[in-house]
Amino acid sequence: MTDVEAPSWDAPAPVRPWWQRLLRDPIALIAAAVLAVIVFCAIAAPLISPHDPFASSRAVMKPPFWSDRSDPAHILGTDGQGRDMLSRLFYGTRLTLIIGVLSVGIGGVLGSLLGLLAAFRPKLDPWVMRLVDVMLSFPAILLGLALVAVVGPGATPVIIALAIATIPDSARIARSIAVSVMKQEYIEAGRALGLSSFALFHRYLLRNCVSTIMIFMSMRFGQIILIGAALSFLGLGARPPTAELGMMAAQGRDFLLFAPHIAVIPAVLTFVIVLAANILGDALRDVLDPRLRS
Amino acid sequence: MKRLLTTTALLLGAGLAQASELTIVREVDSNNYDPHKSTARAASEILFMLGDTLVSLAPDMQTIEPGIAESWEVSEDATTYTFKLREDVTFCDGKPLTAADVAYSVNRWIDPDTKSPVAWRAGEVESVTAVDDYTVEYKLKAPFSELLYQLTQSFGTIIDQANVEALGPDFGISGFNGTGPYCWVEWTPRDKMIIEKHEAFTWGAPFHSNTGPASIDKITWQIVPEENTRTVAVITGQSQVTQYVPYIALEQLAASPGVEVVRSDLAFWTYYMGFKIDKETVSDPAVRKAINLAVDQAAMSEDLFFGVVQPAYSYVSQEALDWNTAVDDKLLKYDVAEANKILDDAGWVRGDDGVRSKDGVRLSPTAYVFAGSTWGKLSEAVQAYLREIGVDMQIQAFDATVAWGKLATQEFDMYGMSFPYVSSGDALNLYFRSQNMPSPNRMNWNDAETDELLLAGATATSDEGRASAYGEVLDKVHEAAVWLPLYHEPMVIAQSTDLETIVPHNIYGAGLYKGLDLKLKE
Repeated sequence: MTDVEAPSWDAPAPVRPWWQRLLRDPIALIAAAVLAVIVFCAIAAPLISPHDPFASSRAVMKPPFWSDRSDPAHILGTDGQGRDMLSRLFYGTRLTLIIGVLSVGIGGVLGSLLGLLAAFRPKLDPWVMRLVDVMLSFPAILLGLALVAVVGPGATPVIIALAIATIPDSARIARSIAVSVMKQEYIEAGRALGLSSFALFHRYLLRNCVSTIMIFMSMRFGQIILIGAALSFLGLGARPPTAELGMMAAQGRDFLLFAPHIAVIPAVLTFVIVLAANILGDALRDVLDPRLRS
Repeated sequence: MKRLLTTTALLLGAGLAQASELTIVREVDSNNYDPHKSTARAASEILFMLGDTLVSLAPDMQTIEPGIAESWEVSEDATTYTFKLREDVTFCDGKPLTAADVAYSVNRWIDPDTKSPVAWRAGEVESVTAVDDYTVEYKLKAPFSELLYQLTQSFGTIIDQANVEALGPDFGISGFNGTGPYCWVEWTPRDKMIIEKHEAFTWGAPFHSNTGPASIDKITWQIVPEENTRTVAVITGQSQVTQYVPYIALEQLAASPGVEVVRSDLAFWTYYMGFKIDKETVSDPAVRKAINLAVDQAAMSEDLFFGVVQPAYSYVSQEALDWNTAVDDKLLKYDVAEANKILDDAGWVRGDDGVRSKDGVRLSPTAYVFAGSTWGKLSEAVQAYLREIGVDMQIQAFDATVAWGKLATQEFDMYGMSFPYVSSGDALNLYFRSQNMPSPNRMNWNDAETDELLLAGATATSDEGRASAYGEVLDKVHEAAVWLPLYHEPMVIAQSTDLETIVPHNIYGAGLYKGLDLKLKE
């Protein structure tokens, strides 16, 4: 007789909490650190800015520190009006981030609610989704142009335009995930237990969809910052003297041949913010999305 | 031998091709090239070359010289001008120019059906008639001392009735038959305008180095909206002439081999910000005066325009005809302490955020300006200066397509504008007549005495009378600080050293005027 070896069976590794898994991803950590520094500088702008971002130093277009002609008082040089680039970047990042967070926040929440509602109440579904289709047909830039034409330039119309542009995508994402959640047995169980609609929606549906929605919003954040900067570059966003990264890049365009740093530095910073936000979004999806966990 | 011949032929060919063509780059195009239907500088630039006017303006911007008219007489009461025309003038299509063409041109200019935005520049015309083939009688209802200056402008270009009627609404769009040193070849809107030498042209005004025909065979006016691209085009020789060079590039251009920079300081193009004087923020003369004192035009000229422009404290150039030298000492110049004191004395108190207010009115005037780099820079610099005295100016920039409409409303407290003029009277009549409200009198300057003085100036029959009437208006408006003058723009032209040095002209900001001085070096 041969002994049949008992099949070895390892207990599955305990699932680590998502933040621990995130901490094991070095690239995500770098992205998070970069974003944290940028967010800190933006929030603390009034405290850490070396100069008044609006006052001219009368030394125009001073190059940054790596140039021989640089002025030690202005590490990143000055712009075409003689204003300190570093201070303007702090304030500019602030507005850029505010535009990004508010538009993604408002648009994401409204859109997700619509999507969840469509999945939760199938009677509403065709109506909500057709509305979303209509909204999807307006590109964010066009919407921004139209709004600015009506109310005049400023950060508010840009935020509204970007929020509206975020609604359809988030509604579709939320609906797609919510439809599959609605088919789960625990929903039926909840119904059988006689839970109120609100409790069912809030405790069973929303909580099971929220991580996917959060991932979508974090990925969307980078795109929105880019579109917001593009609108400001076109002169639709921030109103002077407020600094905004896209607008700073636009103002530097005239000096591209002679003082490229005025346009290049804010453009590079925009790039870094968007890249860091996207990497972090990817990493969050990796650790949060249950389908990827296995 | 054969090779030598080929080489010679090639060299000759190359020489000829180079000798005859020029590319001029510029920033914007006009919407049309009908002299009566566009006020754009871009239109004037081309029309001066395509057409002629009865009289011409010398580069000193003061002397009237002959044009199509070889001589003229003014009646004692200054209401009838009799122009004697040259008999050798022909249109591009070969047809001779007669007095009937002149009469037709002026009558179309002032015809209400033409809806010309510049009809007022022709004066209050009683009648313009052809007495014989070469004599024109220009009768006015009232004397108009500016008339000859106005007739030098491109709006007074003599056009061909047959051409206007043949082209209908496409006149100045698909073609233009003029008598100027160059003829219309082709226009591609927002891209380029091609014109070629008018072979028969020999009637240039005496102040030109060449009275005709033009020595350049073909000129291409190319639109290049981007500043840096224009600069590169001049440095690399893709363009031989341009007056649209960014000031920042002037030093580099001047240092580039093969490029020469010429300028004229008879700068009759002024940038200013106006106040709508019946708005509660800027209705107080103390506020307007303080704003004038708070802005350092000299520093702005240096920092933003690299010292190329002339800081302005007067509303028209102090070199302009009929400027009142008594106003020289009263001009408001940079003095922040005085500005703050004036506002303190007038009861405008600073709030917690540093912005002043009085009787519940916050000192944050809204300024409408054109979108684009020039006004972007200017308005932001002014905004920074005004923050120093507790004035929180709000900037609203509009694209040129909507800006003109916005600037004709009563919505704003301040506005930014620039304008060309030939004389003090020209500027004053444009901006300060009460009947020109709400635009171009956007300040709502409504003063009966000003109207009387302007009328007296316009109808004056002597130089002294005109100068004294206009001088009084200049004193009045400067005293009331209705504008914040910023700078006078000089005429700067970057040109190839292959060309003879150009003498820049300032007429309506069209630096090349008739294009007769464009000539390749031997």
